[in-house]
Amino acid sequence: MVILETKHLSFSYPDGTLALDNISVVIEKGKKIAFVGRNGSGKSTLFLSMNGTHRPKKGEILFHGKPMKYDSKSLREIRKNIGIVFQNSDDQIFAPTIYQDVAFGPTNLGYSKDKVEDIVNKTLEYVGLTHLKDKPPHHLSGGQKKRVAIAGIVAMDPEVIILDEPLANLDPVGADEVMDLLNELNYFGKTIIISTHDVNLAYGWADYVFLMNEHKVISEGTPEAIFMHDDNLKAAYLRRPVTLEIYEEIKRRGLVKPQCCPRDIPDLVHSLRSQQLLWAKVPSEVKEGDYINLGILYGDYAPESGYEAANCKVLHVHEDGLAIVEMDRKPYRAGSIGIYDTEYYSKDELLDIIDRDEIECIGAMGKRSKILAEGDEIYLHITAGVVDRSILNSLAGQRCLILTNGGMVGHALERIKDYMQKSGINIPVTVVNPNQES
Amino acid sequence: MAHILDDYAVLSPLRYKNNWLKIAIVTFGLLAGVSSNSPLVPFLIAICMSFATLYFAKVPASFYFRILAAPAGFVIVSVVIIAFFFGEGAKLFSFDVFGLTLGVSKAGLDMALLVFARTLGGMSCLFFLSLTTPMIELFSVLKATKLPDSFLEIAMMMYRYIFVFLDVAVGVKYAQSVRLGYKDFKTSFRSMVMLGTNLFIRSWEQGEKIYVSMNARCYDGKLILLDDKRPVEMPELMLTLAYFALVVLTFYFTRTVSVL
Ligand SMILES: Nc1ncnc2c1ncn2[C@@H]1O[C@H](COP(=O)(O)OP(=O)(O)O)[C@@H](O)[C@H]1O
Ligand SMILES: [Mg+2]
Repeated sequence: MVILETKHLSFSYPDGTLALDNISVVIEKGKKIAFVGRNGSGKSTLFLSMNGTHRPKKGEILFHGKPMKYDSKSLREIRKNIGIVFQNSDDQIFAPTIYQDVAFGPTNLGYSKDKVEDIVNKTLEYVGLTHLKDKPPHHLSGGQKKRVAIAGIVAMDPEVIILDEPLANLDPVGADEVMDLLNELNYFGKTIIISTHDVNLAYGWADYVFLMNEHKVISEGTPEAIFMHDDNLKAAYLRRPVTLEIYEEIKRRGLVKPQCCPRDIPDLVHSLRSQQLLWAKVPSEVKEGDYINLGILYGDYAPESGYEAANCKVLHVHEDGLAIVEMDRKPYRAGSIGIYDTEYYSKDELLDIIDRDEIECIGAMGKRSKILAEGDEIYLHITAGVVDRSILNSLAGQRCLILTNGGMVGHALERIKDYMQKSGINIPVTVVNPNQES
Repeated sequence: MAHILDDYAVLSPLRYKNNWLKIAIVTFGLLAGVSSNSPLVPFLIAICMSFATLYFAKVPASFYFRILAAPAGFVIVSVVIIAFFFGEGAKLFSFDVFGLTLGVSKAGLDMALLVFARTLGGMSCLFFLSLTTPMIELFSVLKATKLPDSFLEIAMMMYRYIFVFLDVAVGVKYAQSVRLGYKDFKTSFRSMVMLGTNLFIRSWEQGEKIYVSMNARCYDGKLILLDDKRPVEMPELMLTLAYFALVVLTFYFTRTVSVL
């Protein structure tokens, strides 16, 4: 379903600078969209047009199929449903305390005092900032300010959330937290639009990408379609994502399976081709292309896990019962991923589970879970890119546990199942403390 | 980041106490201090308030005495002058400087002590308030007064952006000084002017940006103002009353007494 659309949109600033030139884009509901372009390509201006701040010189904007109108009542409606998080949090957070700033939007929507209070408390809990609600903004870090700015928008419950350069000036941990939050919001049905010049971010995160340059949209498509083609990128003065760059390099050396486009590190690892060729004695009935089992490796020969099964693909059968085989090692003990819902957290239960399942690697996703784990001194092996790293570790035979809560549980499950589908590798995954009531 | 009084106030353990109680304590202290004729009362107030600031509000002593030292320095200078030039009558002691007789009379000394004590008492009251009650809390106090809301809203936004511009100003000043922008008087002057202009233009632009971002959240002329509901607790009340009683009694008994 199309939620937002621009048709032949052009806009110039009052001083005559042409900022948008005939832009036609269609944005689907519930998608993760990235507008990618270098500085000055018109992303911010486009965003400000989408929420009715800039009135286009030519062309129009359709929201739910209806052309945008510019009387104050229609604008209110638009702005309630299309929230925009500005690049610089200080432009947006103007109230003297966090609480008051988040309450600003809901108050403007005319909600009663109690309702505003309720919404603000829930939203702050959701973004993990309840403990800071009475602080003035200048006592917050950049990442915290960004989450306050997002909370201010989320509190108005818009259908579309637009974020202008959401990761600008954030440290890696702050950036991960913001992206976790965006993924969760998207999982609950919000359409998320971001602008960025970070090709790695756009490539790994987005469902659909628009490349912009010189005030125009120069190409659009799925991230694979856009970023595989150097012409697109060159025209937009952008570089290729690192994952693809690595993939291309190892492909040139014949180390990967051709024709896949890895979007993240698990994909990249999966695309690797096993390269260990060796001579082996094989029974006489074995043909080329068969798989044979050469037994179990352990100790120094099994660096990845306690035991590894050495399965080999027969490439070439030689005389004398010898053959050239390609070794494909699989950890003998399969790794697994457990997901622990911290909504129903109890320290003892968690420690029991860690003990019982012989968990070797614990990751936490979402602020709430991190705070809980830190509070109870549970050591976290992974705090960023948790799902990806857990997949990688479980592939290498480790037993992983992901601490998370609410919608992120479903999100993580889906993400892992996606990987299993794409790769055909089965990773045992369970929610280890399913909600007892339901 | 520039550390200022407000930062201590925001983090103060007394921040969430009833604002009116704090204001009452401070107002009482100021009034009692200036209306007393004996320096004992303001001294007592100074000691009590400093104790409260250091012990209850957990302000680091080194910081507290440093901020107290600046006004105290001025006061000591003026007190010396007062002691020498005020008051007639018999000198307690005197000496000659270039044929001029300088002396301190009893009245002069009394006066000097009183001024010193009052200033100290007043300062410690005000520091107590500003180290335990951040602006954020004062906004809800101001709301209870009959000030127009728009005045308050502007004040709130000014408060917010003072810190943004403080950071900008510190940054620009640093950028200027590393390029020798303050090497002598003339360049200093020029750099200062540039800093000022820059800040002015930036605040103008900031105004427009805030306007856009507020509109993006459906601004319709209302900001939320908090009103606090923080009951005064019994121990606080008892302590305050005990303090008041102590000051009043001292006030009463020192009406006619003078220290010397
Ligand atoms: N307030 C403004 N007045 C005039 N020109 C502007 C203004 N803001 C941006 N521009 C110009 O509009 C073009 C697009 O800018 P912008 O939308 O900010 O790009 P991006 O967000 O992609 O970096 C640029 O050429 C920029 O110089
Ligand atoms: Mg921009």
